Amino acid sequence: MLKDITLGQYFPGKTVVHRLDPRTKLLLLIVYIVALFMAKSFLSYGLVLAFLVTVTVLGRIPFKSMTRGLKPMLIFILFTAVLNLFYTKGGTLLVDWWIFHIYSEGVKTAFFMVLRIMLLISGTFLLTYTTSPIALTDALERLLSPLKKIKVPVHELAMMMSIALRFIPTLIEETDKIMSAQKARGADFETGSLIRRAKALIPILVPLFVSAFRRADELATAMECRCYHGGEGRTRLKVLRFATIDLLAFLVGALLLAGVIVLRHFGL
Amino acid sequence: MSNLITTENLSFSYPASGERLALPVFEDLNVEIAEGSFTAIIGPNGCGKSTLAKHFNAILLPSGGKVWVAGLDTSDEEKLLEIRRQIGMVFQNPDNQIVANVVEEDVAFAPENLGVPSAEIRRRVDEALKTVGMYEYVEHAPHLLSGGQKQRVAIAGVLAMEPRCIVLDEPTAMLDPRGREEVVSTVARLNRERGITVVLITHHMNEAAAADRVIVMHKGGVLADGSPREVFRQVELLREAGLDVPQTVDLLNELRKSGWDVPLDALTPEECAEAIKNTGVGSPRSELSAEKHKEIKGAQNASTDAQPILEIRDLTHIYSAGTPFEHTAIEHINLAFRPGELVGVIGHTGSGKSTLIQHLNALLKPTSGKVLFKGEDIWKDKKFTHSIRGKVGLVFQYPEYQLFEETCWKDIAFGPKNQGITGAELDARVRRAAGFVGIGEELLEKSPFDLSGGQKRRVAIAGVIAMEPDVLILDEPTAGLDAAGRDSILENIRAYQQAQNAAVIMVSHAMEEVADLCSRLIVMNHGKVAMDGIPAEVFTHVEELTGMGLSVPQVTSVFALLRAKGLDVPPDVYTVRYAVARLLERKEGRPC
Repeated sequence: MLKDITLGQYFPGKTVVHRLDPRTKLLLLIVYIVALFMAKSFLSYGLVLAFLVTVTVLGRIPFKSMTRGLKPMLIFILFTAVLNLFYTKGGTLLVDWWIFHIYSEGVKTAFFMVLRIMLLISGTFLLTYTTSPIALTDALERLLSPLKKIKVPVHELAMMMSIALRFIPTLIEETDKIMSAQKARGADFETGSLIRRAKALIPILVPLFVSAFRRADELATAMECRCYHGGEGRTRLKVLRFATIDLLAFLVGALLLAGVIVLRHFGL
Repeated sequence: MSNLITTENLSFSYPASGERLALPVFEDLNVEIAEGSFTAIIGPNGCGKSTLAKHFNAILLPSGGKVWVAGLDTSDEEKLLEIRRQIGMVFQNPDNQIVANVVEEDVAFAPENLGVPSAEIRRRVDEALKTVGMYEYVEHAPHLLSGGQKQRVAIAGVLAMEPRCIVLDEPTAMLDPRGREEVVSTVARLNRERGITVVLITHHMNEAAAADRVIVMHKGGVLADGSPREVFRQVELLREAGLDVPQTVDLLNELRKSGWDVPLDALTPEECAEAIKNTGVGSPRSELSAEKHKEIKGAQNASTDAQPILEIRDLTHIYSAGTPFEHTAIEHINLAFRPGELVGVIGHTGSGKSTLIQHLNALLKPTSGKVLFKGEDIWKDKKFTHSIRGKVGLVFQYPEYQLFEETCWKDIAFGPKNQGITGAELDARVRRAAGFVGIGEELLEKSPFDLSGGQKRRVAIAGVIAMEPDVLILDEPTAGLDAAGRDSILENIRAYQQAQNAAVIMVSHAMEEVADLCSRLIVMNHGKVAMDGIPAEVFTHVEELTGMGLSVPQVTSVFALLRAKGLDVPPDVYTVRYAVARLLERKEGRPC
């Protein structure tokens, strides 16, 4: 049951989008988000949407997976829409019934708000769909490496992140197993008051933590056995290198941002 | 051959912590490992074999004496990386030694740490993965691989350092027979073809028999050391140390005790069959002992008259039905279990065993079909379903990982308490359950986390037994234990079965174990029941079983070989005791 959850799922592939340097993709995501938050009109939102659709098509990501990624956020999106719909004043009054007042401006804001959230989530998903977690942590490590000068343990943080990603499926499987085992001893996780249910988690959490510590201990030894000694002098199997397509990608990103800024300047 | 690893008067003790005193492991231990050799280290749990292995690559440092690796002193911190590069290590749990979430990235981990240039890492990764036969999985996620595959990736990860020696600490303890075979044959090949020195720590005597040297450790010292033939012939010595001997040696040893003139050092079924044949026991004889067969069968099927306590009717289970991941785990299963039965369920990983047993106590709901407890559908109403969990007790694999309470008493009490049992009755239940598994009063107030591995497992089993189920199901209850631990758990299970007249269902990979213990065997293959019968019957199908990725007890192979050599020995031999009896009867001229 827990196994069905997908966290930042990666779709392996060999498309242009997959081949881009992960650093490029990470920076492009930032550009994309900035552009998204500067967009104010249908035209500029359209520009951002066109960019997203183009990348999705280029990356051969099925649109279905994009919408599936949005599903868990549906309640949040609807909530935002409703809030904006009723609390934004201005423009012409469209509905005036009992305590509900809907203005045209409200409809517009709600619409843009929903669009913005959806584009934001989809963009982030697009990054994780086309970039392996290991490439992502690698990119983060490299992009943040200037921070090493001010004694930020960048390598260690990146290593922690990639190990966490590695162990998520293992720990989910383990949780499943422990839950089944305690259920077999008559434990009940589904009924009773909130406090009772919280208490029922103890037989799951204690073994889970004990096991996580044991795993951490064994993993540390195994890493030492394979000559791990921190980030110093470490080389990589896959070296990150900016290529011509990365330059092209940056150009496209710059055009997107410029376009949105220009449109905003003209009040569009 | 020169020595690659030498320990010189090695002493080591784990430091005192809290109330615990310092724990000495070795005193003046001298062991040499020759370059290019294949050494197996065996010994009961706690004999110090893992501790010794960790000295070979400076994970642990001696408290006294020295360890030399290729002429380097392991306590020399300057040489640490060089030592670890030369002596690679593979551990028991495949999940806890894989660092990255792509196979190739994981194999690359060690050379990356060593600062090897990228192009060279690429070459090493590809070569290492090809060597262990995992090249087609280069871009896979490790958590989706089988246990045997994961261990081969771990071996590749070590190979990428281009080591001179690989030390493997019980690499097969968590694997099924197929995975075990994958790992052991890979390691043997590396030794043979690449000349890599191998040190293999194991509990499986058959694996040790494949090495060219066996070291037996006991209480921090070396008890025996020599070729497998020299070591395994010392049957009594090994038994006293709480170890097994291969069944072939056991059989010949028993025959010798009865005055037969057979050699003791046959390590493979072929050698053993040859040795028995050479005694001239098997002058071909035509009369088959059909009557005798029936007799045995009749005796073992006595319980068929009793009403079944648990029945499975046309059970099918499909995981993730209606999604692209749809997968039929078991289909159209019909089985019945009776009180007092001791049933072994065998089958390789993925054959549907685990899915099957989780239906028996209502952890999984059938996609179609029914499970009946005393004739009633276990899903008939919510209350009944919940109460089934207490009537059909299920002990999962590695149950000690589910312990969570402050004291053993509280942990054992968890199950019965969930059933609503309190007060004096609860206390009585806990003590009775502890009694069954041999956990003394003095341990009940201790934290379960302070116990030894075998004790923890027994406490966990007591936690299920305390619900006093009519049916007790155990998933590989002896996995990862040494011979002594295994025997005592099997004894506990039998004691419970006899005292309560319970039906016991045991899932296992260890054929020798189910052959000896169970009165009925169910063989699962591809989600279906492939065989169901008494062990004598099931084990006559040697070829079908091997075809399903299962093994048969060594004695069964020996007898199959004897038959192939034209000897008229019965085909239904599956324990050493029975084999000896049959052979002795022959010798005395009585029909088998």
